Amino acid sequence: MSFYDSILAGISLVGNVDAFLSLFIGIVVGVIGGAIPGLSATMAVALTLPFTFPMQPINGILLLLGVYKGGIFGGSIPAILIKTPGTPASSATILDGYPLAEKGQAGKALGMALWASCTADVVSNLSLILFAGWLASFALNFGPPEFFALIFFSLTIIAGVSGDSLLRGTLSAVAGLILATVGLDLVYGTNRFTFGDSNLMGGLNFIAVLIGLFAIPEVIAMAWDPTGHLGKARSLGKSWVTFREYKDSFFSIIRGSIIGVILGSIPGIGAAPSAFLSYSEARRTSKNKENFGKGEIEGVAAAEAGNNGVAGATLIPLLALGVPGDVITAIIIGAFMIHGLQPGPMMFVLNVDIIYGLFIGLIVSSVMLFAVGSVAIRAFRYVADVPKRILMPAVLVLCIYGVFAVNNNMFDVGVMFAMGWLGYLMVRTRIPAAPFLIAFILGPLLEDNFRQSMLMSGGDVSVFVRGPITWAFWTFSIIALFAIYKSIRNAKTA
Amino acid sequence: MNKFVKLLTVSLGLTASAAYADYPERPINMVIPYGAGGATDISARTIAEPLGNAVGRPLVMANVTGAGGATGSVAVQNAKADGYTMLFARVGSHSVNPAMKATLPYTLDDFRFVTVYEINPAACAVAPDSGINSMDDLVAKVAEGGVTYSSSGVGSFLHIAAVMVLDSFGVENPLEQATHIPQKGGGAAATAVLNGTATFLCTNSSSIASFVANGQLKPLMVTTAEPVVGFDAPTANELGKPELNQLVGWTGIAGPAGLPDDVAAKWGDWMAEATKDAAFLEKMTSRGSVIELMDPESANEFIRGQYNKFRSLVDRLGMRIEG
Amino acid sequence: MLKVLFKGLNRWLGVFTLIFSAFFAFYAIPNWVYSPSNIRNIVLSPTFWPYVLAGILAFSGVALIITKQTPSTDQDTPAPAIGGMRPYMRLVILAIIMGSTMYLLPRLGMVWTTMLTFVATAFFFGTRYPKAAVVSAILVPLILYAFFAHVAGVAIPQGNFVRLP
Repeated sequence: MSFYDSILAGISLVGNVDAFLSLFIGIVVGVIGGAIPGLSATMAVALTLPFTFPMQPINGILLLLGVYKGGIFGGSIPAILIKTPGTPASSATILDGYPLAEKGQAGKALGMALWASCTADVVSNLSLILFAGWLASFALNFGPPEFFALIFFSLTIIAGVSGDSLLRGTLSAVAGLILATVGLDLVYGTNRFTFGDSNLMGGLNFIAVLIGLFAIPEVIAMAWDPTGHLGKARSLGKSWVTFREYKDSFFSIIRGSIIGVILGSIPGIGAAPSAFLSYSEARRTSKNKENFGKGEIEGVAAAEAGNNGVAGATLIPLLALGVPGDVITAIIIGAFMIHGLQPGPMMFVLNVDIIYGLFIGLIVSSVMLFAVGSVAIRAFRYVADVPKRILMPAVLVLCIYGVFAVNNNMFDVGVMFAMGWLGYLMVRTRIPAAPFLIAFILGPLLEDNFRQSMLMSGGDVSVFVRGPITWAFWTFSIIALFAIYKSIRNAKTA
Repeated sequence: MNKFVKLLTVSLGLTASAAYADYPERPINMVIPYGAGGATDISARTIAEPLGNAVGRPLVMANVTGAGGATGSVAVQNAKADGYTMLFARVGSHSVNPAMKATLPYTLDDFRFVTVYEINPAACAVAPDSGINSMDDLVAKVAEGGVTYSSSGVGSFLHIAAVMVLDSFGVENPLEQATHIPQKGGGAAATAVLNGTATFLCTNSSSIASFVANGQLKPLMVTTAEPVVGFDAPTANELGKPELNQLVGWTGIAGPAGLPDDVAAKWGDWMAEATKDAAFLEKMTSRGSVIELMDPESANEFIRGQYNKFRSLVDRLGMRIEG
Repeated sequence: MLKVLFKGLNRWLGVFTLIFSAFFAFYAIPNWVYSPSNIRNIVLSPTFWPYVLAGILAFSGVALIITKQTPSTDQDTPAPAIGGMRPYMRLVILAIIMGSTMYLLPRLGMVWTTMLTFVATAFFFGTRYPKAAVVSAILVPLILYAFFAHVAGVAIPQGNFVRLP
């Protein structure tokens, strides 16, 4: 079948109202699901999965992809408005989005988030269509040693999100690494800091930690000073993102999209680290460096580009190899299998109509996301107008429901409260929370891949420099460490 | 306020007069101890529909994941034994884990099994470019050293399956001669073999069926007596190892230990009705599962039989995890 | 007191970090991390990574103590609170509200408990819109319940009293 035939076959498959309707409903559900803290894009996709069982395969998969993409964008809405990431991937959006909302520029931040998300989405989809085969074979070269080098490099992001003190940022990161060791040991299955509790054996739930760390301290700060917010503008504001601001951030958005595509095509990384990496790269090179973390619109753009750039790219290993890149695609793969489809190289031969149908659907999805997102922003503007002393109790209640729903476990609600107090203590001692979160995500990956490498090499450390991918990441790490060292020197002499 | 009090008294009255004859009079919580999209989750959600029709009340599916199924299992172990909280038990959480982990917060005695409805044949597979074409090749390679196997974690079905297969093919000390490289989850375990991190894995045939169909993995054997569709590999019986027939995955339903007899009996009836559903059968078998309904007694017997088999292997090889 | 604390913030943090790293390395890891006896390679031991972390922790503690505090913008320091109740008292009260919430959640069920939590926190913060607060306190948990239980199919805990449909 020629290329044109394939495209025609694809069009005939999705060229009906049902397909686009599923995609549209998916995006709406995703944006709403993503906007509810704790529900998260992952949960929204998992909850939609059973509904796809009776549908046509292509419609069902488009529905799930819509939820996925909508969810990743939707997460940025509460991240900006109430400092609660709706989905882990939007944690980096808080860093500048929430300060902007505090300044009464929530509308601008949300607008930029939408522009950046949709741009990154287009880049990501195009990469999927053009480079799927090539990127997939690259991704399959990632064994534990390559992962170890990549994650080591990713940990240098911490320097970029540490704020005014690298040492306190490090402290925060180590705290995150320590809390991430709770649970069963990977290699021997023994208990680490579990105290015989089956809830702790599973490790601390990531979403509970995330929401506890970012949302609850706001509630506690309200108790410390219930009237401090009065007089500060907190409505959505008339300000809307201008084309000029978009143009100024365009380079960061494209770079973030590419970071997202690369990290997304490697199984096992996910959208949150990508958003943080994109953010710290933007901060490192921006001419508005000083303003990052205090409400810099470019920071929002970079973070949102970083996480939406992942969304299309995670489909690369899924479609080309049948390997799920993260939890969400693991659920989506379930939808393929229920319909008797087997993602993998053979799918490009056997079900090429579905593949091209998906591609066409994906391109349309970027446009739909923009439309749905614009409406959603206007609908959620009312949140910004709610009096803060009613909003905060509502946030608290919302977090309780959301965190419980993640794993149907009351223990997680307790974890959230405990992390909230830790987070508040960190706010008071001016220890930044972002490094904690990055370390909490990457720490277990670093340890596990280190030990898996040692197992596969029989204890020979030379496995860590076994190929060009590892060399590349070690080089990047050295460059990053050198840049950090230089910035410390500059700060001292300045 | 008046209404509220009325509602309160009415509902309290209902609770007090509740007898098991009326069971179930409200939705039943079904705990799935593994994550969404996994084998247990898909199986549970597929039976949920016909089962819900048979029960006549909604079934509320709740994934409680963590610690290889232990977190969700403990949630049911500690629930009231009134039949309103039930568990989708799985081979990993209820025969491998209890056999391997000394510190597991539960034993088989903490649960009452009402059914096992699904059996998953297991298969061992390698990468096609590994130069390994048969179990004999694999065993020969193990003797040379450097062979590794992946699993979805310590105490998972994949972990014990690989050890049990090597053991029954005469490898002297499988723990020493081959290296276990645990991964996080079944998908990652298959990927590890795909990209050469590990030499082989033994897992449910359904979870690697697509890789086998795509030629990305080469099956070496299946553990059932009958051949598995799509797997061009000898059965355990053809290789002269019928004892490996016990090495299969399964999904069942369990309640807390004190589950009343009439509740268990009702579940037996409902399952008999639900597994007759044509759509359910079609979906499950197309995924490579064998639908084999067991009543409460035979389910219990089956699980204990598998547990004892695993336990003796674990004790003989010193695999038990004490901490 | 706060002023003094912030002057030597890094030093205080450093001392605390050092003490904690010692506790971590000499008490927490040996007692709470179980390591099998037959480990061939020390780097594969379950305790290896925690010990590495203890080392980094001790190192950053020392670094925090010896480095001079870099001058920084102090704009995000919480304002000293005004009002009748002492701020620390208010933190304690909020902690009590959270604690009781955790206690009541499995007993009363999630909907009734969160209604109480909402009312308690809203009035504790001294909202200027008491009526709106009460209305939201009733509506927000109910809407969330309806959504999570009936749309998302989540088993929201119902507690031992009044069950919602």
